[in-house]
Amino acid sequence: MTPFLEAIGIDKIYPGGVHANKGIDLSVAHSTVHAVVGENGAGKSTLMKILFGVEQPNAGEIRLEGQPIVLHSPRAAIAAGIGMVFQHFSLVPSFTVAENVVLGVEPRAGLKLDRKKASETVRELAERFRLPVDVDVPVEQLPVGQQQRVEILKALYRDARLLILDEPTAVLAPQEVVELFAAVRSLTSQGRTILFIAHKLPEVLEISDTISVMRAGKMVGTVAAKEATEKSLARMMVGRDVALKINRAAPGIPHTHLCRISDLTVKNDHGLNAVSDVNLVLRTGEIVGIAGVEGNGQSELFDAIGGLRPISGGSVELGTTDITHVSVLERRAAGMANIPEDRIATGSAGGATVAENIVATELTDKRFVRHGLLDLKSIRDHAAKLIEKFSVRVQGPESAIGTLSGGNMQKVVVARELSSEPSLLLVSHPTRGVDLGATEFIWQNIAKARDAGAAVLLTSADLSEILALADRMIVLYRGRIVAAFVNTEEVTPEVLGSYMLGFAEQSAEERNAALA
Amino acid sequence: MTQGRLFLSETGRIVMAAIFALAVTLIIIFFASKTPWATFETFVTSPLSSKRTIGIWIDDSVKLALAGLAFSLVFQARQFALGVQGQVYIGGLFATLVAFSPIGTTWLALPAGILAAMIGGAFIGFIPGYAKSKLGANEIVSSLMLNYIAYDICNYILRVYLASLESGLTTSAPFPAQSIYPAFIPRTRVDLGIVIALATTVVVWFLLYRTAWGLKLRLTGHNARFAAYSGIRSSFIMVSAMTAAGAIGGLLGAVFVQGTAYGKLSIGFEAGMAFEGILITIVARNRPLAIPFVALGYGYLRQGAALMNYRADVPAEVIGIVQGIVILLVASSFTVPGKAMLARLMGNRTAASRATS
Ligand SMILES: Nc1ncnc2c1ncn2[C@@H]1O[C@H](COP(=O)(O)OP(=O)(O)OP(=O)(O)O)[C@@H](O)[C@H]1O
Ligand SMILES: [Mg+2]
Repeated sequence: MTPFLEAIGIDKIYPGGVHANKGIDLSVAHSTVHAVVGENGAGKSTLMKILFGVEQPNAGEIRLEGQPIVLHSPRAAIAAGIGMVFQHFSLVPSFTVAENVVLGVEPRAGLKLDRKKASETVRELAERFRLPVDVDVPVEQLPVGQQQRVEILKALYRDARLLILDEPTAVLAPQEVVELFAAVRSLTSQGRTILFIAHKLPEVLEISDTISVMRAGKMVGTVAAKEATEKSLARMMVGRDVALKINRAAPGIPHTHLCRISDLTVKNDHGLNAVSDVNLVLRTGEIVGIAGVEGNGQSELFDAIGGLRPISGGSVELGTTDITHVSVLERRAAGMANIPEDRIATGSAGGATVAENIVATELTDKRFVRHGLLDLKSIRDHAAKLIEKFSVRVQGPESAIGTLSGGNMQKVVVARELSSEPSLLLVSHPTRGVDLGATEFIWQNIAKARDAGAAVLLTSADLSEILALADRMIVLYRGRIVAAFVNTEEVTPEVLGSYMLGFAEQSAEERNAALA
Repeated sequence: MTQGRLFLSETGRIVMAAIFALAVTLIIIFFASKTPWATFETFVTSPLSSKRTIGIWIDDSVKLALAGLAFSLVFQARQFALGVQGQVYIGGLFATLVAFSPIGTTWLALPAGILAAMIGGAFIGFIPGYAKSKLGANEIVSSLMLNYIAYDICNYILRVYLASLESGLTTSAPFPAQSIYPAFIPRTRVDLGIVIALATTVVVWFLLYRTAWGLKLRLTGHNARFAAYSGIRSSFIMVSAMTAAGAIGGLLGAVFVQGTAYGKLSIGFEAGMAFEGILITIVARNRPLAIPFVALGYGYLRQGAALMNYRADVPAEVIGIVQGIVILLVASSFTVPGKAMLARLMGNRTAASRATS
């Protein structure tokens, strides 16, 4: 049988000279789920962009149902029945779901958009493919998982027979992943084909029929999911065995109180309390994990401690200084570092070079700035050292950070924040979109910062990440601490889950035992 | 991307813009002129036809470059302050006041005039910045309003205190000789202004790329949230960028009135040139070192169009159309949809040619 989509000998060299795809062959069978995995910077996104007409290959051929096609633009790809959901969505925030979905090919009543028809069509589409979403709500009010559904619906509305998803699960909470996979199954059973990128191997093994592995721009192999194991895939990807295991903080070391958060109250963008009366003590040499369903106050809590959001009640003390209302600069000077949840919106300046991004937080450091003048050489050397140490795949310190692959950008952010040897380290979703080898590496480095005496506050959508790293854990539900644990074998995702969903709440004594 | 490659690709882009501009002009001339080829020849060659026209071309380019530099500073910080025009008028006025003061006939006349102009311009630049950081006032609106105010203040003082009767109240008396730039080539407008423009180019480049302030400014421009997150005081950066750009705008005012072209203050002396700095900096992608070259190229087209107006049957408004089209092309053809369009126009040829290169 002819494959649905075939790519033959695809080669891509970016204008900067990066050889991102080297003679890639890929063959995707009809009505299957085909995963593409590989390290950060392996060239996965590049390949997908070529298949969607965003990037042009330097050589190679694409065939759809046996027919050669040329995709010089996304428009051509859509016309050929190919849809793509990027990791960063392109929705109009103030438009409703239905408006976003039909945008560009609207049903019309005369000259005007036929709103009713649009809502109806989109609702039917959503039902048919098991992508439930409220079609008349503005997109900005939806959580990420639902926004992703809207993107998928947008592609389906344009009759996509092949749907390309670039790291769809990276931004989703576990429950949302389950829902996405249900939708994916219903799509393939209705004759659609899915091509997707992911880094978490259990997910990949669960949902896909076929798995292709890329490394350093080359396709190293394609296997049936049935015959693959996590271990075999990891070895294909990284070329060695990877053990995602981190040693806990050594017991018996006295942990002194470093950061005291008292009665903290923080408002969200709408002026409502996102965090209410949080009391928490962070100790040196210890990682505290915060679990919670997205939108229960984690981002606001981290922004408030990081100085990016005003604190409306309570206080934060770092060491002996009160940092409740001080500027980011003073917080950083007091020893804070911050790995933010969104590396593109908050963690980097896309158009600036890697070196400039790295030095941005150190502009008071005499090593890099003297008498207001930049020491370009030491800035470059410092960046080169971190690039080397964190094995960031980049041409050099002078490359614009925006041209890095997602995972490599994350490594730059992590490298910068850890290089200041912080005493208080805020970490949000540190390995989102990061490959297996790099996840291991980032975990090890967070653990190293902890062993060097940092107090670490960690949150992640991935419970296994919190369970792997944290020494103590708290659960946030609607902005309040509803449970606190010392991380032991007894604490499982199920136990955390019941608190995260608000089904249970610990008594004050129980909580305080783990909070003090 | 290495610096060398970047330089080549950027140069290529600017050359492309020039070719576009010429092609567009040619098309318009074909519609507007009875003798299109002769007219086009006038357009292309006339700026070089005499020492005098060359001088005008260079002098215009100096002013366009300074205006471009002022805009490049605020644009790199992603502030859309459009107050250069107002700064030019206040700068010109301050330089004039110095020229007619007792200092105006001493050797201090030029430096003191320039300094006064820069301080005046800086103040005009500072106001919208301060209003934005303290009151959240939109800098586009406030800087445009200030342009009117500055223009009227300048005219008022000129008419009431400075205007000479012979001129019909439109210009001041000529400056004392010590307050006018020495001409490098006699009987042309090639004067000290050229040195000022080149020095300013280097200073702006140095500030932006070699100082911590410049790095903070560019990072704020790239991503203000990132700047805040890294501990950069972006409101200070914003205000100081607008103030520094204001000083350059004021300097341009001094270059206008102290230059050999004027040597006096006249009503509306800036003639809308300040705004053309926006085009210069857009084509130069806000890169200071590219600005003098773009200014020379654009100044040439502009001069060609003006002379075509005198010597042939095509009105000078043509340059306005060319301006608009160049802005559109430069602003669009290098963004994603523009690239996709180019790719479609050229089909697979681009892909093939890139593979071999
Ligand atoms: N626009 C661009 N210009 C120059 N180089 C680029 C560009 N986009 C990507 N690259 C480079 O191409 C290589 C492959 O990038 P790509 O985004 O395809 O990786 P990826 O496999 O998707 O990685 P990740 O898992 O981190 O998302 C990287 O080295 C990256 O730096
Ligand atoms: Mg990618």
